[in-house]
Amino acid sequence: MGYEPKLVCFSCKFGWGYLKDPGDLEAGASLSTPVECSGRLDALHLLRAFKEGADGVLILACEEGHCHFQEGNFRTLKMLYLLQDVLSAHGIEKERVRMEFSRDPEGTSIPDRLARMRASLSALGPLNRTFL
Amino acid sequence: MTQRITINPITRLEGHGKIEIFLDEQGEVKDAFWQVVELRGFEKFCVGRPAEEMTRIAPNICGVCPSAHHMAATKALDALYGVTPTPTARLLRELEFNAFMIEDHYIHFFFLAAPDFIVGPDAPLAERNILGVIGRVGKEIGKQVIDIRKRNRDIIRHLFTKAPHPEGGLPGGVPRGIAEEERRDLMATADDSVAFALFALDLFKKEVLGQKALKDLILSEAYTLRTYAMALVDEDDHVAFYDGMVKVIAPDGKEFVRFHPEDYLDHIAEWVEPWTYIKFCYLKQLGWKGLKEGDDTSLYQVAPLARLNVASGMATPLAQKEYEIFFETLGERPATHTLAMHWARLICALQAAERNQIIVRDPLLTSRDTRNMNLRLMRKGVGCVEAPRGTLIHHYETDDRGILTRVNLIVATQNNAGAICLAVKKAARAFVRGPEVKEGFLNRVEMAFRAYDPCLACATHALPGRIPFVVTLRGPSGDVVRTLRHD
Amino acid sequence: MAEKPKIAICWLGACGGCDEAVVDLNEGLLDVVEAVSIELWPVAMDFKYDHLVAFETDEIAVGLVSGHVRNSEHAEVARLLRDRCRLIIALGACACFGGTPGLANLVPREEILDAIYRKAPSVVNPEGTIPQAETPWEGETLRLPAFLDHVYALNQVVDVDYYIPGCPPPPELIQNGVRAVLTEDLPPKGSTLAPRTALCETCPRNKTKPMRFEIHGAIRRIHEVEADPETCFLADGILCMGPATRTGCGETCIRTNTPCRGCFGPVPGVADPGSRFISSLAALLKVGTTGDPKAIMASIGDPVGYLYRFTHPISTLGARRLTEASEETP
Repeated sequence: MGYEPKLVCFSCKFGWGYLKDPGDLEAGASLSTPVECSGRLDALHLLRAFKEGADGVLILACEEGHCHFQEGNFRTLKMLYLLQDVLSAHGIEKERVRMEFSRDPEGTSIPDRLARMRASLSALGPLNRTFL
Repeated sequence: MTQRITINPITRLEGHGKIEIFLDEQGEVKDAFWQVVELRGFEKFCVGRPAEEMTRIAPNICGVCPSAHHMAATKALDALYGVTPTPTARLLRELEFNAFMIEDHYIHFFFLAAPDFIVGPDAPLAERNILGVIGRVGKEIGKQVIDIRKRNRDIIRHLFTKAPHPEGGLPGGVPRGIAEEERRDLMATADDSVAFALFALDLFKKEVLGQKALKDLILSEAYTLRTYAMALVDEDDHVAFYDGMVKVIAPDGKEFVRFHPEDYLDHIAEWVEPWTYIKFCYLKQLGWKGLKEGDDTSLYQVAPLARLNVASGMATPLAQKEYEIFFETLGERPATHTLAMHWARLICALQAAERNQIIVRDPLLTSRDTRNMNLRLMRKGVGCVEAPRGTLIHHYETDDRGILTRVNLIVATQNNAGAICLAVKKAARAFVRGPEVKEGFLNRVEMAFRAYDPCLACATHALPGRIPFVVTLRGPSGDVVRTLRHD
Repeated sequence: MAEKPKIAICWLGACGGCDEAVVDLNEGLLDVVEAVSIELWPVAMDFKYDHLVAFETDEIAVGLVSGHVRNSEHAEVARLLRDRCRLIIALGACACFGGTPGLANLVPREEILDAIYRKAPSVVNPEGTIPQAETPWEGETLRLPAFLDHVYALNQVVDVDYYIPGCPPPPELIQNGVRAVLTEDLPPKGSTLAPRTALCETCPRNKTKPMRFEIHGAIRRIHEVEADPETCFLADGILCMGPATRTGCGETCIRTNTPCRGCFGPVPGVADPGSRFISSLAALLKVGTTGDPKAIMASIGDPVGYLYRFTHPISTLGARRLTEASEETP
């Protein structure tokens, strides 16, 4: 039964695709938002993404030790561990939020990463909105 | 053509409910239903919460008797963690629990019950409230009531954060202690509470028992009920509030069973009826026998009257004297006059006050040893107290992190649910006659449940969500035309 | 002599604690009743719903409404009060945010029904009976209010003019609120009648908050420790919702050596106090190279229960408006 998962992608401008056209990054995600550091992400952004229709969220962050703002990426990782529990309580599986740490100035790996995330969201099926 | 009278909402109690009375063509009462219309869900949504948070959450079951839930939760945590509270912690808990008994019984008597007696059951509706009571007894007495309630609630607030929502009880202890310089105020409150308790009983004897019409009402057949009775008793078989064994007597007064609260599941069962959200407690060993009184019932009553019937006496001397006058006046044991509950309630408040007079003078009260930290997770714990409205049980089970996997509550008013239905029906039959029914007579029907001081938010901690329903459509001749189901 | 303004004090999905808080005005209550005419107060007075129905639109000056909306009767009474009262004040955490029973929004309805009326260990129910919205009896029908599939805060059902938060609100806040209404000295509509800062600002322990605020190691649960009565709970590794919670309660829990659980709801400008706290807590947790963030986060036994203790119905994920459609039983 086909459904097109709605994937939201947040990517750090300092590590991901900054050598490419922003338009190229957008393919493969329903919504692609470059941010000034993954640490800029607040739990609220992720919760709103799900509330407003996302089936999954992919966060592209910089490698450990390479955050332009010291440890923004690490703080977001910690936040995510907490948030995953909240999401689980609402019937939102942990796999629907994924954080990947690397650097890819050309953004060449981004389409693949998005495709893989979309595939895993397809396997999970549409988000169960009973508790939302 | 049946006439249908709806009292909605029922008033001067805690909680949401209504009464439906059906009259036949002769204007006689065919039946009356006391329906509890609210639900909560605590037993379910507390699963997944850390057990120690129950002393923060459980008081939300009811804002009139939150201290009862708080204490039952605290004791359930003691059992869950296999720990005995320190002597000081126990004294502080008892101090607070007695203070709560006092202020809660008085808010019931003066605010909720007294209007029917001191203002009058047939008085204009707009006057039947605390303001009407103060109008009759005078502002001075009104201020005394307010003052004694405030001072006892200050004790609750001091020990457990807020009076309408005490919290913070811990397994093996309490969150804070009392400094020696605070003892003097506590002594004043305890002593004044005893004095006030005696005054309240005098007031009752003068203004209620001393008024023939009211005394006759209390002793009338319309307000009697014969069932089993349950209460906590101490090791001397006296009325107990904070802790004790559960004792049950039969309608004839003989002891039926005595058990430790942790064995409650062997003795107490809950029955479900489709027309009300409250579950009916009954004696499991006798099986459900329906809503009836007498020797063949399996229903039991709890709270003030039951306490006095069940125990062989009060635990304090002045209360004991009143206990003897009580039974002498009523002339029977067990006493079956439901309106006498108001009197029994005042005697219980006196005992609580007398107990506090002793506790506030105990040298260990101000010790800093308020926590026993020898916690050992047992994964199951049952806590039981004699709440103002009756025996209350909290039962918790957890995983190996102490996170709740199951919560079961037997809440005071549930124990009375069957009795209240019967009492309401009986009063309706006695006072309501169609087609013209005076409002004061409907109030007399409400007086039947008010004696029990019901707490419906407590009693219906359950939450079903959307309800499946069955609708039966009948034609003019009464034949079933269609049955609609939504499950 | 001018007629006294009318007020209604009503409870929906409530526990009665806010009504007790009104009575906790103590002698102040006697002053209030001199100044107003209470036309509805089911806990203490015998006026029935028909008394409320008989009023004209806007005839009642203010309705003090406690409790969330859980069933069709709550919704009906809320709408009735909205019509008959010029002002509606949401009184207490349940009316303002949904309250602790809002956590029931996280459990499927069928599971709850089953648990309470069939599976509870003390229940004996051979026919599997469940309370019904309609029960036939001798040609008549006994009715119970229909249960909605969600717990709603009051402003998700009717327009609310002012909010007095707390579980329950301190009597002083209620008294000030009522006085402000009667003297017509009110802030803009939609305001919360409580201070505008977070609990930490007024907390008696805030001097022990370190300059560089960090929590090292696992979060400790309150029963596992003997909390120091003067040290900031969070600085000591004990969960306290103070940073994400509005002040105004008088810090009664803190002063009783008990950490804040957030009953005053979010600070102004924050819609979802739980998500705000997640971000703050994540920043505070000092894990370093030797610590394992996952394990430390896991030491918080029940994130959703701490973060949204009183506020799930107004949270980002949980918030809904009650429409006619959501009330129908299909």
